[in-house]
Amino acid sequence: MRVKLKSGRDQRKFIERIEELSGENVFACYQCGRCSAGCPVASEMDLLPNQIIRLVQMGLEEEVRRSKTLFLCASCFTCGSRCPKGIDMARVMEAVRHVLDPKGKDAYGPLDVSPELARELPQQVLVSVFRKFSK
Amino acid sequence: MKLHYYPGCTLKEKTPGLDISTREAMKRLDIELVEPEGWTCCGAEYPLTAEKISGLAAPIRVLRQVRDEGGDVIVTTCSFCYSVLKRSNKALQDDPLKRKRINAFLRDDIKIDPLTKERTTHFEDYNGEVQVLHLLEYLRDRVGFPRIRERLKRDLGNLPIAAYYGCRLLRPKDEMDFDEPDSPHLFEEFLEAVGCAAVDYPFKQECCGSYLVVSLPDAATEASYRVLRSAKMNGAEAITVTCPLCFYNLDHRQETIKATYLDFPGLPVVFFTQLLAWALGVDRSVLGLGEHRVPADGVFSGTPATEVRT
Repeated sequence: MRVKLKSGRDQRKFIERIEELSGENVFACYQCGRCSAGCPVASEMDLLPNQIIRLVQMGLEEEVRRSKTLFLCASCFTCGSRCPKGIDMARVMEAVRHVLDPKGKDAYGPLDVSPELARELPQQVLVSVFRKFSK
Repeated sequence: MKLHYYPGCTLKEKTPGLDISTREAMKRLDIELVEPEGWTCCGAEYPLTAEKISGLAAPIRVLRQVRDEGGDVIVTTCSFCYSVLKRSNKALQDDPLKRKRINAFLRDDIKIDPLTKERTTHFEDYNGEVQVLHLLEYLRDRVGFPRIRERLKRDLGNLPIAAYYGCRLLRPKDEMDFDEPDSPHLFEEFLEAVGCAAVDYPFKQECCGSYLVVSLPDAATEASYRVLRSAKMNGAEAITVTCPLCFYNLDHRQETIKATYLDFPGLPVVFFTQLLAWALGVDRSVLGLGEHRVPADGVFSGTPATEVRT
């Protein structure tokens, strides 16, 4: 089956915004799957990293938005270091998180951490997780 | 000699062992560590999208302070701090637009001396003059592993130790330039220099689950278990880390890991600076072993400090 890429104006806007924010060319991806093969959290994901890129290529914003993958990325940069086309997938993930749900609630915010846990955790992990997953 | 040192937020509160052992070890190498005045949190995450530029302000302020104090190098031990400082520094060196925007923002800074109440309102633009080094890089390039070998006071007897790099030291390669992302060897060279035997195992550069330990603990448990099991299976008697978060995931959460994966017998987790300090003859009481949940006493036992090597 042939899928026409960049079909409508809205799709184009979504793709261009992702490319502008991430600085990556998402159309460079030819779906080899090395990013997903190396991903330490792939087993928890509903859509694999290469599938996210594919959906972005097709401008399917709603499908990307529904995936929980965006809030599973640990930014360990394994995907980017293995990509034969030099795409930094962690940047694409961050750009998608940035674009989606601009005024929505935190995917993971300060209210989700119990005071007992917060006392035990190293500071850097709280700063990191809120920077990644809250507004 | 004096050397600028950035401890970062976690070392002062949660993992003083990394901070204390670093200071003690460097004292034995005749290096006095100086913290940049008024340093703040680096932000822990390097901003990955073009518009989140404000995340660069905190690390650049730290680096500018180092330059204004006359320093040209800053060392850090925490992998997160290292990654943020190094990538931000490189962004300012390479990207004229970021340089311009961040300097325009930081020009409004006001510094008030706590004693004299003197106000500083003029700051020179920062253009990436300071070099950011991880302590491992500093030991290899500026101190030299042969010089460390000469100073050793304890024979660690080729204790098999697994070096754990984790994510932030190595990747992305073009920005971090620390070692080969898929076949690193700097940490192993360090272990051999202090008298341990480096254990080769396939999970040394895999992720421990990082901050997912807060939002999705099960994923972090699994990721950390894979690392620990791999090190153990390859004969390690302990695993050594540079990062306080790796330490938390591998050490503090090891009870949870053991409860989930019943075949895992446990493995002590130590900071690389504790091994260095121990080998250089520092007393066990100042290695900061108090916060370890998995007892690491077996690693630091026996062998009183003597002149064992020439």
